[in-house]
Amino acid sequence: MSAQPQEYKFSDIIADPRIRERWEKVRRYFFLRESTYDMSNRCNIRCEGCYYFTGEKQFAPENTDENAWRQLLQSEKERGITFAVLAGAEPSLVPNLCAICYQVIPLGAIATNGLKAIPREIDYRIHISAWGNDQTSQAIRRAPNMLARQMVNYKDDPRAVFVYTFTPGNIDEAREVTKLLADNGQHITFNMFSAPVGYQGYLRHTPETLGKTRETMDELLTEYPQTVLFSTYNIVAHTDKLGLHDLFSCSYPRMNPSTDIGLGRSFRQYRTDLQWDRDAACCVPDTDCTDCRHYAAGSAVVTARMYRHATDPVTFSAWLDYVDTYLAVWVRGYDKGLNLCNTFISPPPTN
Amino acid sequence: MSYDINQTITRISEIIINELKLEDVTPQTFNPDLDLIDEVGVDSMDLATVALVLRDEYGIRIDEDDYPKLTSVRIIAQYIINKLTEKE
Repeated sequence: MSAQPQEYKFSDIIADPRIRERWEKVRRYFFLRESTYDMSNRCNIRCEGCYYFTGEKQFAPENTDENAWRQLLQSEKERGITFAVLAGAEPSLVPNLCAICYQVIPLGAIATNGLKAIPREIDYRIHISAWGNDQTSQAIRRAPNMLARQMVNYKDDPRAVFVYTFTPGNIDEAREVTKLLADNGQHITFNMFSAPVGYQGYLRHTPETLGKTRETMDELLTEYPQTVLFSTYNIVAHTDKLGLHDLFSCSYPRMNPSTDIGLGRSFRQYRTDLQWDRDAACCVPDTDCTDCRHYAAGSAVVTARMYRHATDPVTFSAWLDYVDTYLAVWVRGYDKGLNLCNTFISPPPTN
Repeated sequence: MSYDINQTITRISEIIINELKLEDVTPQTFNPDLDLIDEVGVDSMDLATVALVLRDEYGIRIDEDDYPKLTSVRIIAQYIINKLTEKE
């Protein structure tokens, strides 16, 4: 005879002082409402598997009118957007437009390849993409000495966090890159290569590479807890054989028809012509949704599923770790706490 | 067992006011027909928090898929009463 699993009240779960403290810490940021903006249709490098140069958005004309950008961000603020994510193709090529975004919406993040420093007065979180060691970057991104140049550009810069994208070919190199960044006082978080629509190239993960990535992430999180902004539950969510949509039901408009509440209501993804299309709107458009394990997607999709994680103290702690990580990676000035749950748990089932 | 909708409305109002730290309103003055999303500014994470407290209070599960329907305190109160009645 098997024992019935204990049913917890939410008040019982948060009665634990460590859980309550973390819950009170993260819930102060529930006001964040994001939208994303492609800043330029140009990039100074061209990477294998780049999401930006897939699909229609790459052909949108570039609007460089500062007044148009200011008006757009102002209208975004008025409809409740509190967090701006500046992405494709390469925002550092238009620092004047990034500055306008920061002036109007003071919380945000910029995804950059890090080869051109973004002026310090733009006080957003800066996500610097890393795809392996310099040899691999040369092969995949066709740019020499990437890490060395990125580290010089963002040395002692509290805005910076390196985002290491695991592909089947660079799993072992993560050790070398993480050590290098740790030795230089930088922070790193992890991303998973998620295939663009139609992509059948060698960067697409397999069950074997997902498993190997999981082991490597766990090893690095244990060895470099001050450098790696991640949690055990992040590892679970991003290396499962199922993608984020199948695990958690993606809440971005592209996969969520509801316009009543949450991301389905507020999120927009603007192209460089300042237009947006609900059918394409998600954090990384033109990703194959069945293969999506993007760190950006998880930050919203896993976070939104609080209710289903509030089943017991361990599961809720894992969710809190995930949200604490997401906030530390995305929000300037937010300090990550120690992870509460260091065991691998299964994501809870849907309703 | 019959449930008093007005009592349920007052209790839900109290929970929402406490959890969302709403000011200048009491459970007695909270308009139960206000649109929580458009007029009060409640979002999905707020609603999930309230749903957890309501789960504790009434011992019912609020399906994530039902959140979009729960647009006012009166609608939530009726939803809870329906769930409680189903349980009997």
